[in-house]
Amino acid sequence: MNKIVSIAWREFAATVFTKGFIMGIVMTPVMLAIVAGAITLMKKQKGPQIVGSVAIIDRSNLLESRIISNFSDDAVKKELDADSERAKTIVKEATKGTNIDPNALPIGSMPTPPIEEAPLLSLEFLPADTKDDDAKKPLETAEVRRREAGRADVSRIALVVIEPSTVMGDEKGDYPNFKTFYADRLDFQVKDRIERRVARAVVDTRLANDKRIASTGLNSEQLRKIMGQPSADAMTVTVGGDKTDKGQLKMLVPMGFMMLLMMSVLTSSQYLLTSTVEEKSNRVMEVLLSAVSPMQLMTGKILGYMAVGLLVLFLYGSLGIAGLIAFALFDIIEPMQLVYLVIFFAIAYFLIASLMAAIGAAVNEMKEAQAMMAPVMVIVMIPWLTWFLIQRAPNSPLATTLSFIPGANPFVMMIRLCGSEPVPTWQIPVSIAVGIASVIAAGWAAGKVFRVGALMYGKPPNFKTLWRWIKMA
Amino acid sequence: MTNAIEIKGVTKTFGSKLAVNNLDLIIPQGSLYGFIGPNGAGKTTTIRMIMSIIFPDSGNLSVLGKASAIESKDRIGYLPEERGLYRKMKVGPFLEYIAKLKGQDSAGLQQKVKFWLDKVGLADVYRKKCEELSKGMQQKVQFISAVIHEPDLIILDEPFSGLDPINRRLLRSLIDEQHKLGRTLIFSTHAMFEAEQLCTHLFMIHQGNKVLDLPLADVWKKYDPKILHVEPLGSVDEAAAKLAGIEGVVNVVTTTTGIDLRLHPHANAAAAVSAVAARIPARMIEIRRPSVEDIFVELVGGDAAALKAELDGLSSEESTDSLPRRSPAGVES
Repeated sequence: MNKIVSIAWREFAATVFTKGFIMGIVMTPVMLAIVAGAITLMKKQKGPQIVGSVAIIDRSNLLESRIISNFSDDAVKKELDADSERAKTIVKEATKGTNIDPNALPIGSMPTPPIEEAPLLSLEFLPADTKDDDAKKPLETAEVRRREAGRADVSRIALVVIEPSTVMGDEKGDYPNFKTFYADRLDFQVKDRIERRVARAVVDTRLANDKRIASTGLNSEQLRKIMGQPSADAMTVTVGGDKTDKGQLKMLVPMGFMMLLMMSVLTSSQYLLTSTVEEKSNRVMEVLLSAVSPMQLMTGKILGYMAVGLLVLFLYGSLGIAGLIAFALFDIIEPMQLVYLVIFFAIAYFLIASLMAAIGAAVNEMKEAQAMMAPVMVIVMIPWLTWFLIQRAPNSPLATTLSFIPGANPFVMMIRLCGSEPVPTWQIPVSIAVGIASVIAAGWAAGKVFRVGALMYGKPPNFKTLWRWIKMA
Repeated sequence: MTNAIEIKGVTKTFGSKLAVNNLDLIIPQGSLYGFIGPNGAGKTTTIRMIMSIIFPDSGNLSVLGKASAIESKDRIGYLPEERGLYRKMKVGPFLEYIAKLKGQDSAGLQQKVKFWLDKVGLADVYRKKCEELSKGMQQKVQFISAVIHEPDLIILDEPFSGLDPINRRLLRSLIDEQHKLGRTLIFSTHAMFEAEQLCTHLFMIHQGNKVLDLPLADVWKKYDPKILHVEPLGSVDEAAAKLAGIEGVVNVVTTTTGIDLRLHPHANAAAAVSAVAARIPARMIEIRRPSVEDIFVELVGGDAAALKAELDGLSSEESTDSLPRRSPAGVES
């Protein structure tokens, strides 16, 4: 037992008390902050505006004034205001019930962008009898460019064709879509603005020309308010009183827990793999095995790196919790979720670490280890790839099935337990039992492989050979 | 006197290759055993089986009175053929770690490590990383790791390979010291003269088969001198002609220094000496002791010539070359 503790301590110390580990642990959040900052900065620095002309064939002959007004500076300003208002509403929704000041966040505090940020679009109205194909022609060679000092020429970058039926309705009472043609490589935001402005002109013209609506005396502004979709002011009712809903931030909790779990498990088991391969290629293995049994060595190593994993879990976990407390968000996680985090960490770690120890002992160098790790990583990556689906529907057949697949189940259960729907009670102990059974099976098989593989040099074993080792007495 | 190691009918194969064949070997306590044989003879395989690192296909082993070395690991010191150290670990902590794994108490361990480092002339490396040491220094550190826990049985696999002559001498004296303390030592080598100078018992293995297992004194008795070396005062050729007729001489070879007379296995060497003295005036007449190498070559017979060439190559390489010996695989095959 003393020997196992000695091994575990050496492995822990040899990993943790190194510049690499300390830098890695400290630098990761710092790097994340830098990346986040850089993205915000990049978002703020928009390039100069797109310059171009939009050709319009209005076969209804009703739209011209409204389209001109929708492309005017005043209308563009209003459009930008509405855009930034919408973004602020989203931030407000997300931070509802927290003490985060939406105005303190980059998006929440962003002023309405100046009109220079909207594309500079000029209009050309073509005669109603212009053929689409003729009008389209210039788009083929159009130059989509940004504003440059000293250049007055503009290319036609878009063509909008509106048939009379789009405005007045056809004989069945339907309103067909209008058509747009764009130059290659036109930014989607520019297209979106063109389409929105034309569409608004079309709708306003329809309302103004409809006799039924004219008889009500309502103008289009009033009609729009009537038609607007209300959103709910949500409250969660609990024994302790009503609480404002935590908004969309709560959506991040399951992913946060899964990331935490995955990061700590994968970091520590990767270290375990590297150190085992190194001991083998350094030939320290034989010295160690003359002093301790392979099982003692493997156990000591697994425990040592478990301590490394727990350290990572604790460091990042407490960082996260500190953040939640700072924003008065701590009550979006439940204490029981932290207990489950530790349980599922143990299951995931022991399973993956056993496999890594076996792989490390079976191969001669890291390159060979990569190939054997692939199947393990595929299983671990399933929850990573499906977390969104699982979170959206925590009790779907997919989520339930994955909860009982060894290797994936700790991560999937963690997502489900932090999700919005309660997990059926029986599934928790059963998933834990599956996890424990998989740990025992993997530990047993890994012990066999480790014993045989540790001193076996030469050609790395294939899965058939591994299976033979496992079957050996 | 009890036996440190008893091996009975042990066989080990790797795939289709027979590494050790039906081996019987008894190593008494307190003996200093030399395991001899060329590369791939089965020395390391035998040692690894003694260490319970690999297990025999059949046969029985007992080590220090126990069924396997696992039960008495703390009483055994082992220097593997493949040298291994943690590259990033400091020498002092590495030795302390190994000693702890060997069941040593951490109290006083540091002094002990420093004492040993001082003893092998590495007093200043305690705080150096293992990767900063030269090959020879690493080997001395590994030797310390094999003896620091004062084991009853010390097994050294190729301890001399890669050492310069000065360090070979140092290692010899360290081995001798352990022997005088009453410990049982086994070392393997393919450089036979080391064994000749050091051990009390000789064990020879060739292609997995034991070819010799005797106390060194008995080896000399059994393999009586068979060569008479004569340096005549006069002409070598004349002298050679005169000596050819002596009873028991089967072959006369003139060499650069004189004449070698190969005697018949049952010839009386002493009588031959006086016969030589009677026939020619000689500067020197010597009954040559066969080297361990000669004995080995004689024992393995058939492919002797090829083997002798191989051994010559190896031993000259060993004595001049301080570069590490490279073995492509850890398992002898």
